Amino acid sequence: MLSIKNLHASVEDKLILKGLDLEIKPGEVHAIMGPNGAGKSTMGYVLSGKDGYTVESGTVELNGVNLLDLEPEERAKEGLFLAFQYPVEIPGVSNLEFLKASVDAQRKARGEDDLSAKEFLKQAREACKKVDLPAEFLKRGVNEGFSGGEKKRNEIMQMLLLKPKLCILDESDSGLDIDALKVVADGVNSQRSPDRSFIVITHYQRLLDYIKPDFVHVLADGKIIKSGDASLALELDAQGYGWLTEQREGDEA
Amino acid sequence: MANWLESAVARAESGDLVNDCFVGKRRQALTLLKQQAWPTRKVEAWKYTSLYPLQDKTFTIEASNDTAALSTVIDGLESIDLIFINGALQNIPSELPVGLSIASVNDSAEAWAVETYSSIKPERHLFGLVNDVLASDTVIIDVAANASIDRPVRIVNVLSAGHESHSRVLVRLGNNAKASFIEQAIGNESSFHTAFVEYDLGAEAELEHYRFALQTQDAMAVGGCHFNLATKAQLNSTLVGFGSVLSRLDVDVIHAGEYTHAKINAIYLLDNQEIFDLHTVIEHAMPNGSSEENVHGIVADQSTAVFNGRIHIHRDAQKVLAEMNNRNLLLSREATINTKPELEIYADDVRCAHGVTIAEMDKTALFYLQSRGVSLAQAQVMLNFGFINELVDQMPNQILAQWLRPQLRERFAQMEVK
Repeated sequence: MLSIKNLHASVEDKLILKGLDLEIKPGEVHAIMGPNGAGKSTMGYVLSGKDGYTVESGTVELNGVNLLDLEPEERAKEGLFLAFQYPVEIPGVSNLEFLKASVDAQRKARGEDDLSAKEFLKQAREACKKVDLPAEFLKRGVNEGFSGGEKKRNEIMQMLLLKPKLCILDESDSGLDIDALKVVADGVNSQRSPDRSFIVITHYQRLLDYIKPDFVHVLADGKIIKSGDASLALELDAQGYGWLTEQREGDEA
Repeated sequence: MANWLESAVARAESGDLVNDCFVGKRRQALTLLKQQAWPTRKVEAWKYTSLYPLQDKTFTIEASNDTAALSTVIDGLESIDLIFINGALQNIPSELPVGLSIASVNDSAEAWAVETYSSIKPERHLFGLVNDVLASDTVIIDVAANASIDRPVRIVNVLSAGHESHSRVLVRLGNNAKASFIEQAIGNESSFHTAFVEYDLGAEAELEHYRFALQTQDAMAVGGCHFNLATKAQLNSTLVGFGSVLSRLDVDVIHAGEYTHAKINAIYLLDNQEIFDLHTVIEHAMPNGSSEENVHGIVADQSTAVFNGRIHIHRDAQKVLAEMNNRNLLLSREATINTKPELEIYADDVRCAHGVTIAEMDKTALFYLQSRGVSLAQAQVMLNFGFINELVDQMPNQILAQWLRPQLRERFAQMEVK
């Protein structure tokens, strides 16, 4: 599904990712944890093609397609989805209009016709219900005046409608109370399937109680320094990252 | 004096001065006009808008009907239409709702019309004086007291290549009358027209007003809408402008009675090397009035927008609430916005606020849309549209909003972000 090899990337001339390697097979859920400033969010932005994030070397392939050559919208059409840590407010553009433009663009890329307004509205209402957002949120400006939790649920709703192949959830749990966390997790779990993969970026083990990862990686200083199964997250939760970064410095010495 | 103005004055003096019941006012205007110099950029009112494109032009003055290709239809709108083709008024609709009368003035008019004509439009507008002396076919529209006219009255100026025209309408809304007026100009070829409308609102009258200055390219237009509000009168006006080589609109709102309210929403969208210049003046002459003005503009390429918003609160106009807000989006480094709020406040118990913003398109929002599969070009259109649509949504007449939206989308699709 996704193959990242020796990825180096910088922001404003500062090297953030320093040799990232990651292989994800269809159906897998990978959690990425790590200290602040390790490059977790940078990874999400580099994969989705945000302006200002420069790839210095390395390769990223999604189902055999070189992602790095593509515009952000083309990457989305290849099935990449980033749930933003800080979803953007766009006053004046209704959530519904935004969602329909997104879904239509991706359907068009697959050679499918636009959904009728009626059919789309039906799907959007169902998606709203799944993430526990009142349907009137569809009429409001994109994320305009939404609470932190509502914004995160709005991201998951977009994921439900767009049905991507690879979903990157960038701290989708931050700022959520336990009920909202469950809603987000249920949304993600409902989309788990043998042909869809997830990268779950989080600081906390708590989310992984609800979204069970197949693998857990620790990203520190721009590369993955340890990988393991779900038990690694519990270990990190108990001991923090200090022992890992010290161990690594010891290894390097 | 420059050639165009000289020739206009010469035309008025040599017999074109329309000899109808307004001739007294026209003579006064001619006297004033002859004292005026051709405005250069040193004149404050024309500081950012050059009249150079008009300066040496000559046009056909004779009206002709070679405008077959231009459609004036607005789908679904059942309006009462007054159509001026190159300045010549076409038929006045014969079947009018009760309470509405429309007359073209040749030699007689009621006393109120003679008195009101040219009294709401301030003398300082140079092209208003030009219009005074050269506009023939003046139309007088009277809405009777307590009448509520459901169908909007539409005043359309159609211009074809090489023509010059001057149209003039005077509107009175009697006490407690309600009506809706739409002013519109059509034709993008090289032409020049002045269109001035004066509205006299009686006590508790309500006017819903639109002006669509959507001519582009070589069409030159200078005009104005001027409103006088008696006690408790209410104005809701939407102004939409695209730019051209010369496009200028002057709006004056005179709060002449207490407890008046005026809401003005204005939009301008400019591309290429177009110019659009909007000057608004809100005169709060009496206490307890309120005004609210929201102006949103998007300027692309090498275009130039001018917004000069003046609020004048007179000494006795206590308890006035006046707000003015101008927000601009710049799509290119070579586009220009000249925005100037002018607040002159002589009363001490008022609330008056103004704000101006000039911003570039939000790159984060663009990326957010792109990350969902929306193309950059479409994302730009969506964001532009979002910026403007807030005001379009507020238009009381949704048929007009529906007519306007695709035109805005089409324009956004052409406007490049650089």
